[in-house]
Amino acid sequence: MSLKQLPSPARLSIVALVLLGLSGCGVNTLPTLDEQVKAAWSEVLNQYQRRSDLIPNLVETVKGYAKQEQTTLTAVIEARAKATQMTIPADILSNPGAFHQFEQSQAAIGGALGRLLAVSEKYPDLKSNQNFLALQSQLEGTENRIAIARRDYIGTVQTYNTELRTIPGRWVASLLYPNLKVRETFNISEQAKEAPKVTF
Amino acid sequence: MRLRIASQGSIGYVRWWLLAVLLLPPTAGLAAGPDFPQLTGRVVDQAGILTPSTRSGLTEMLAQCEQTTGQQVVVVTLGSLQGYPIEDFGYQLGRKWGIGEKGKNTGALLIVAPNERKVRIEVGYGLEGTLTDAASRTIIEREILPNFRSGDFNGGVIAGAAAIVTLLGGNPSAAGAPPNERATNGFEGSPWTMLILLAVFIIFLMLRNRFGQRSGIGRGMGAYPPVFFPGGGFPRERGEGGGGFSGGGGSFGGGGASGSW
Repeated sequence: MSLKQLPSPARLSIVALVLLGLSGCGVNTLPTLDEQVKAAWSEVLNQYQRRSDLIPNLVETVKGYAKQEQTTLTAVIEARAKATQMTIPADILSNPGAFHQFEQSQAAIGGALGRLLAVSEKYPDLKSNQNFLALQSQLEGTENRIAIARRDYIGTVQTYNTELRTIPGRWVASLLYPNLKVRETFNISEQAKEAPKVTF
Repeated sequence: MRLRIASQGSIGYVRWWLLAVLLLPPTAGLAAGPDFPQLTGRVVDQAGILTPSTRSGLTEMLAQCEQTTGQQVVVVTLGSLQGYPIEDFGYQLGRKWGIGEKGKNTGALLIVAPNERKVRIEVGYGLEGTLTDAASRTIIEREILPNFRSGDFNGGVIAGAAAIVTLLGGNPSAAGAPPNERATNGFEGSPWTMLILLAVFIIFLMLRNRFGQRSGIGRGMGAYPPVFFPGGGFPRERGEGGGGFSGGGGSFGGGGASGSW
C-alpha cells in the first residue's frame, strides 16, 4: 500500500508528522512561550494596579498639607479614574489599538503623579510627614517595579514573536496553533519620555 | 556584492568566511548588559572600601542569618555602576547571582556604589512583604547614610546589614556562635531533604555510569557540590572566606529603596 492510496486526511497527517519531525520536536515551544508572555503581562498589570492602589492614600495625605494644589490633585484622580474605567479587552495583547490606549492611560497616571510629587517639594511640612515619606518610597519602588515588569514583558514577547515568525516555529504554529498571534509590545523610548522623574 | 568578489577566490575560503560571519553577530549583537562582579562570598567588596575585619564580621552575621531564617543577604560594593541607574544594576545583579531560595525568592542585596555615591537595598520578590520599600528606605536614611556622610563606610554597611538582618528575624549579634554548632543546625530540621539529596545523588551517579563518559564514581563528589546544594538554608560556608557560597536561584523584581549622599 503506497502513500498515494491512502485517503487524503491520512496523507496530510503523515506529511504533518514528517514536518514536525523535521522541526526538531519544538511542538511545545510556542505554548510555553505563550504562557510566559501571559505571566509577564499579568505582572505588568499587577504592578500598575499596585500603583493605582497607592493613589487615594497619597492624594489624601497631600491634600492635608497642600490644599491649594487642587488642579494637580484633580489631574491625578482623573487620570486614575480614566485608566480604571477602561475595559481591557481579552485580546489586548494582539490588539494594537487597545494596547496603545492602555499604555497611554497608564502613562497619563505616571505623568500626573510625577507633577504631584514635584509640587509637594514646596511643602516642608508635607515632606517631613512620615506617612508621606512612606507613600513616596512605595511609589518610587512601584515605578521601579513597573519598569522591570515592562522590560521582562518586552523580553518574553520578543522571544515569543521571534519563535512564531521564524521557520520551525512558524510551521508548527500554522499546523497546530493557528490562533496564536504576534503580540504587542511596549515602546521603550515612549516610556522613557513619559515616565515621571521621581527625585528626592 | 562582497560575496561575488569573494567567490572568485577558492570556494573553501568563501565557506569559512560565511561561517565566520554567521557565527559572529549573535554574540556581538546582543544588547550589552552591565559587567557583574563574581559572587565570591556573602560580602563582595569590589570597591575595596571594607576592612578585613568588617568583611569577616559581616560574613559571620549573614551566614548566621541564613542559618536561622533561611534568607540570603549579600553585601556588595561596586567599583562602578557602568552608567546604569543603581535600580537597574541592582535587580539584574540579584537575578544574575540568584540570591535567595529558588521558588521563594527570599534574598536581599545591600549595594554600595561609593564612586557614584549611591546605596540601595534590593529586595527579592519573596521578602517584599517584610523588607518593604518604606522599611528599606528607613534603614538607608537612619542607619546607613549618616555614617556614609561622615565618611564611615564600614560603620554604615555594618549598621545597615544589621538592621536588615534584624528585620528579617535574624539576630545580628549572634554571629559569634561556635562554627560546629551552626554546621549541625542546618541539617537538623530537614532529614527528608537529606534523604532526597542522597537519592538524587545516587540516581545521578547511575545515570552517569549508564551514559558514562569516563568513570563516574572514581572522580569523587568533590567536582559537583553546587549541583546538590541549590536551595538556601544549608551551611555552605563555615567561617570566614570558606568559599563555595552560591545563590539559591532567587529572583528580583525591583523591590527596595535607594539613597544617595
